[in-house]
Amino acid sequence: MDLLSAPEPLDSQADFEVALVSLNQWQLAWRRFRRHKLALFGAALFLTMVAISVFGPFLLPYDPLYVPPIEHLCAGSASLPAYNGCPPLTPGHPLGTEGGGLGLDLLTVVVNGGRISLLIGVGSSIFAAILGTVVGGLAGYFGGWVDTIFMRIVDVLLSLPILIVITVFAKAFGLGDWRIILLVFAALSWPGLARLVRSLFLTLRTEVFVDAARAVGVSDRRIIFRHILPNAISPIIVSTTLSIAAIIVTEAFVDFLGYGVDPSKQPTWGNILTRAQDAIVYGNWWWGLFPGVAIVLTVLGINFMGDGLRDALDPRSRA
Amino acid sequence: MIKYTIRRCLQAIPVLILITILLFFMMHAQGNPADRFAQNPKVTTAQIAAFEHRWGLDQPLPIQYCDWLGVCGDKGAINVLPAALGGGDNGILHGDLGYSTYDGLPVVDIIAQRALPTIILMGTAYIIWLTLAILLGVYAAVKRYSLFDSGLTVFNYVGYSLPTFWLGLMLITFLAVPPLRWFPASGMNDAYTTPGFGTDAYWAFVGANPFFALFDLGRHLVLPVITLVLVSIAGDSRFVRSSMLDALNQDYVKTARAKGVPERRVILRHALRNALLPVVTNIGLELPILFSGAIVTETIFGWPGMGRQLIDSLGHADYPVLMGVLLITSAFVVLANLLADIMYAVVDPRVKYD
Repeated sequence: MDLLSAPEPLDSQADFEVALVSLNQWQLAWRRFRRHKLALFGAALFLTMVAISVFGPFLLPYDPLYVPPIEHLCAGSASLPAYNGCPPLTPGHPLGTEGGGLGLDLLTVVVNGGRISLLIGVGSSIFAAILGTVVGGLAGYFGGWVDTIFMRIVDVLLSLPILIVITVFAKAFGLGDWRIILLVFAALSWPGLARLVRSLFLTLRTEVFVDAARAVGVSDRRIIFRHILPNAISPIIVSTTLSIAAIIVTEAFVDFLGYGVDPSKQPTWGNILTRAQDAIVYGNWWWGLFPGVAIVLTVLGINFMGDGLRDALDPRSRA
Repeated sequence: MIKYTIRRCLQAIPVLILITILLFFMMHAQGNPADRFAQNPKVTTAQIAAFEHRWGLDQPLPIQYCDWLGVCGDKGAINVLPAALGGGDNGILHGDLGYSTYDGLPVVDIIAQRALPTIILMGTAYIIWLTLAILLGVYAAVKRYSLFDSGLTVFNYVGYSLPTFWLGLMLITFLAVPPLRWFPASGMNDAYTTPGFGTDAYWAFVGANPFFALFDLGRHLVLPVITLVLVSIAGDSRFVRSSMLDALNQDYVKTARAKGVPERRVILRHALRNALLPVVTNIGLELPILFSGAIVTETIFGWPGMGRQLIDSLGHADYPVLMGVLLITSAFVVLANLLADIMYAVVDPRVKYD
């Protein structure tokens, strides 16, 4: 044991060199990403949506839950004027207003809605990435019964329509609170990533550098985090980026059904659409159009960015 | 090969058992179905207790699970024999999925009634989108880096980024309500002229006016099918394109060209046949995605299928129906994955069986 524990400084030196190489890798990746026009456009689009959601509410004159006085409502000519909002380009309301007797400013609601929708998308993706990496890493590295148990759970979660599972839990525990909804999404969005990380770890753990690290007595924890994980990080980043888009869309649907974030507490892109659905028959097309356009722009940006990241971080996987 | 098939089938059993456990506890998190009487002053505590006793809601959870499964017989005996071998007809193991707590109908009947609309919708959409995906993908691969190829890439990105439910809402907004009103916004058939789908009266009506009924169904299919096809075609056409590009770079394609085989024949006979293999094996793996799309589409378009039933039952806290539908669909998915794996091993002999 003394002989084995002796070359400890050598190991840390090796780590230092790995860190140096990976720094160059990131620089190379950034250079490849920069050349990818569509990816840069996607990143700009996504960051614009984030910036609008973060700073927009401070710049807009209305509160998202502020109900304007009745004389501000645009009485329509249709049979049910109470349902009509003002059309887009009305003075003071560039995107128009919501109908249904409330008359909220649509721009304010959409901008504020972005906050929660993006927060849930990004937040639960990060939580799910950590969970999926830990589960997949443990299963792939240790194998045996750990692997069997974790992978059967993954099989189960991937064979159920996850949309319904999420809706069921959001309805049962969510209580309209966005923080709980975020956790529900995090808790159920990791299986795909876990399967990916497991397969990466299965290949990487047989590599020579892992054998070498083990031979000089490096602990399992250190091998997992310092030797294997840096080599598996690229697909994890790509998959997490793309999962933000998927979660934003699913969360919008859960909100749309009325089992997500409570519209009386916070507007989200999904719960605006719940109200808008009733107005479709009255011709209030803008009410449903703009929240959806916000979702599409965000998701499109993320998907462009994610594919650019895939090409930049893992040039071999280019399709 | 046979050994691999058997091992793969055995692996599916614990997954199915875990699914039943997860489903059971998931549905229990929905609360007690008797709670909806709590606000009703005319319902007495004794009546609630009777309701709970009738549906077995007063039993401990493991017993309720065991009863639902049908493994616990009378007097605590374990009963795993199939119905045909005298195992009785109680519990899901024996084909009894229980009764709806909402309208009292047997869950099996509800599923049987809702399955056909879903199959019609998913089947139509799937045939159209697979055909389109293969045509577009192959053409884009043959004309690589052309305007068409880049156009398809952008179209794919946009289609992939459209939320299904919002696309459905927008199609209704712009094509189904005034001023355009080109297509019906919801349902499977015209409510004024046709009896409800699946009833005896409906089949009698179809027998009397087959062409009108078919036309009516087709008209109602247009918007939901467009929704499903637009959002789903992106992934598959990209998959076909890259698979076709791989095939076109193979040596046998070069050989065929060198021999002077006409380009059309090279593409259709030599490259396409091989490019479609991974596409065919992918079909089984796409089933859960397809079904999730169907849930959303059915909800938006009021399509009386299994997806719509799921969302409705969720609203009614009707968990026997929810569990039944989810169980059937996830069993199908497990089966489809199994078939995909086995087919993959049959098609590609290089796959290692472990």
